[in-house]
Amino acid sequence: MSGLSEVSELLRRASQDPVLRTALDRAIASYWKKRKAVMARYPYIVKLAEEVRKIKEWSIDHMDELVSRALESVERAGGRAYVAETADEARRIVGEIVGTGKVVTKAKSMTTEELKLREFLQERGNEVYETDLGEFLVQFLGPKPMHFISPSIHLTREKVAEFLREFMGVDVDKDDVEGMVALVRKFLRDKYFNAHVGISGANVFAVDSGATFLIENESNIRLSVSLPPKHVAVVGMEKLVPTMDDAWKVVEVISRYGGYKVTSYVNTIMGPARRSAADVGPDEYHVIFLDNGRREASRDEILKQTLYCLRCGACQYLCPVFGVVGGYWAGLKSAYSGGIGVMWEYVTGDKETASYHSFACLLCGRCIEACPMKINQPEVLREIRKRIMETF
Amino acid sequence: MGMDLKAVKSLLEDNARRTWNPLGIRESYCGQWAQGLNLPAKGENLLYTGCLYQMIPYIEMFSGMLKRLESLGPTVFRLAMGANKLFNSLGISTTSLLGITISRAERERYFSILRTIASALRRAGVEFAYMREEPYNGVLYHDLGMDEVFGRHVRRLADRIRETGAKRIITVDPHTTYMLRYLMGEFVEGFDAEVIHYMDLLLERGYEPSGKGPKSVAIHDPCYLARWNGLIDQPRELLSRAGVQVLEPEFSRKFTGCCGGPIESLLPSLASTIALKRLKELKETGSSDVVVMCPICLTNFSREARQVGVRVHDITEVIG
Repeated sequence: MSGLSEVSELLRRASQDPVLRTALDRAIASYWKKRKAVMARYPYIVKLAEEVRKIKEWSIDHMDELVSRALESVERAGGRAYVAETADEARRIVGEIVGTGKVVTKAKSMTTEELKLREFLQERGNEVYETDLGEFLVQFLGPKPMHFISPSIHLTREKVAEFLREFMGVDVDKDDVEGMVALVRKFLRDKYFNAHVGISGANVFAVDSGATFLIENESNIRLSVSLPPKHVAVVGMEKLVPTMDDAWKVVEVISRYGGYKVTSYVNTIMGPARRSAADVGPDEYHVIFLDNGRREASRDEILKQTLYCLRCGACQYLCPVFGVVGGYWAGLKSAYSGGIGVMWEYVTGDKETASYHSFACLLCGRCIEACPMKINQPEVLREIRKRIMETF
Repeated sequence: MGMDLKAVKSLLEDNARRTWNPLGIRESYCGQWAQGLNLPAKGENLLYTGCLYQMIPYIEMFSGMLKRLESLGPTVFRLAMGANKLFNSLGISTTSLLGITISRAERERYFSILRTIASALRRAGVEFAYMREEPYNGVLYHDLGMDEVFGRHVRRLADRIRETGAKRIITVDPHTTYMLRYLMGEFVEGFDAEVIHYMDLLLERGYEPSGKGPKSVAIHDPCYLARWNGLIDQPRELLSRAGVQVLEPEFSRKFTGCCGGPIESLLPSLASTIALKRLKELKETGSSDVVVMCPICLTNFSREARQVGVRVHDITEVIG
């Protein structure tokens, strides 16, 4: 819990942190350059984003129906499907699948961050590794993933080199980013082979096929979820769209607005491995559909916009407040960051803290321009302010 | 918890009840800018300022005080927000705000911006009335989610506007423009006056400004002007007619960067940091003269201008 003065102090300190600022400045300048290039090369993406907005609107309005069809699809393909109403329930289900004393590899996933799943599994005596480079750094350096697709946006390469030097006990050159990536990759390589369970989220889920889509650039996700004998996917209910065709559209929009001309890998997972020599993959495919406030939000005319969010991170890169405080906005206890993070925290987490953080929004609306779904964050955040103001 | 926000709310409600202004500023003060211009009180066209320009010196004072409080840490900040006594002892109570007379020099700049707009409109052949007791636009209440106070405020504003007999309202800042165009209808039944920004009106009348300031400026699109009201080409056209060269920053037009102003009343340090960053972007155009078209941008930037080494002008101070 925090009041307005605590929010003010947290954000004031963050805005005066020179390392944070350097890291954010570099990331934002790089994103803006990439975004302009992507928009120039693929101008049709704007129309595709409009189409995806319609797909999302329909899907959020039919969430219950999609969830029940998704359960059938997963089971039909030989997987196990679950509905978790709350974060506790989701953790309990994953806890039972994993057990104790196991090695777990994780794909980067904001939804599992929402559940604090890594910490939960560690407390139960499991060894858990984040395999996305940025998320791996956050696991050891904290304080939280600070951006949807660039979780270590708050860290400079200098900081990372310093950490790796100590962690790996080898010499690391701060300007050799490739070298640092290789070091972490080597460290994780045998974890994949020893892991009992691979855990992922989903970028989008195609209901007709029971397919989990995972977008990545480092090939770590493919290894994390296909080498261990069990794959658990935690899918927020807002990720469900009716068809494979819809899902591919979502994938393209996420990648482009995330600033990628090409996204290196797109994985589609449609059930456990079949019993043939040619098919590699886990023997068990578990899909957990997570509610945790989403169904309630889907019935709220203003809050439901939160669920259109594809988590591409464009709004975070281009928000003037995020540009100086990064993921401190929404609070360090929230998995989510920035104005959209406040909205997600309000929907899935601590409404009171989110309410205080809502007052840091400028209502300037650059996020709406940035967002492929044209989510009106100022409108939603103002509504959150209104709801807490009415209680005084 | 919630003490601080509750205190903010009750301070604003208190002032709203007494003066219809969040800082406790009188409406007679808001109308002073037009003294001696012989503007009528009734007419088809109404020039309504929303009092934002006039409030700048008071906003400056209030924000400076908040920043001092904020720098003392969260506990003091919360106590101060909660305790009217401490507020008083720091000389920032609303009654003492009212007691302070803003010096002629301090307010002159902002009054003169409004007079420049009025005389440009007259030269362009537009006749208009104004309200001698000019109400504040109410936007802060809406921004903070205080819809009840906002509703009450704008219903009274609508009545006051109706009394002038105006069919068309001429606005001078983006926040008032947005509020009248898009929020009034939601809170006031049957409010249907036409709303036109003075820049649109000047262009429509073929106004040719003379140009009286710097010959080359970095343009800062105010968020509410460019994104929320869609006025993007208008200031550029007026500047170019005045013979002023317009330099575009990296983030411009629909992607303009906010000045930080909207959060200055609650998070003043953060607002300053954002202003500084934006001013540096503007300075990278190569010009040290920044032009804005919004009183909130004007005040929030002016405070940080010296540190960045730029001068901040309202567009009226450049085009004349």
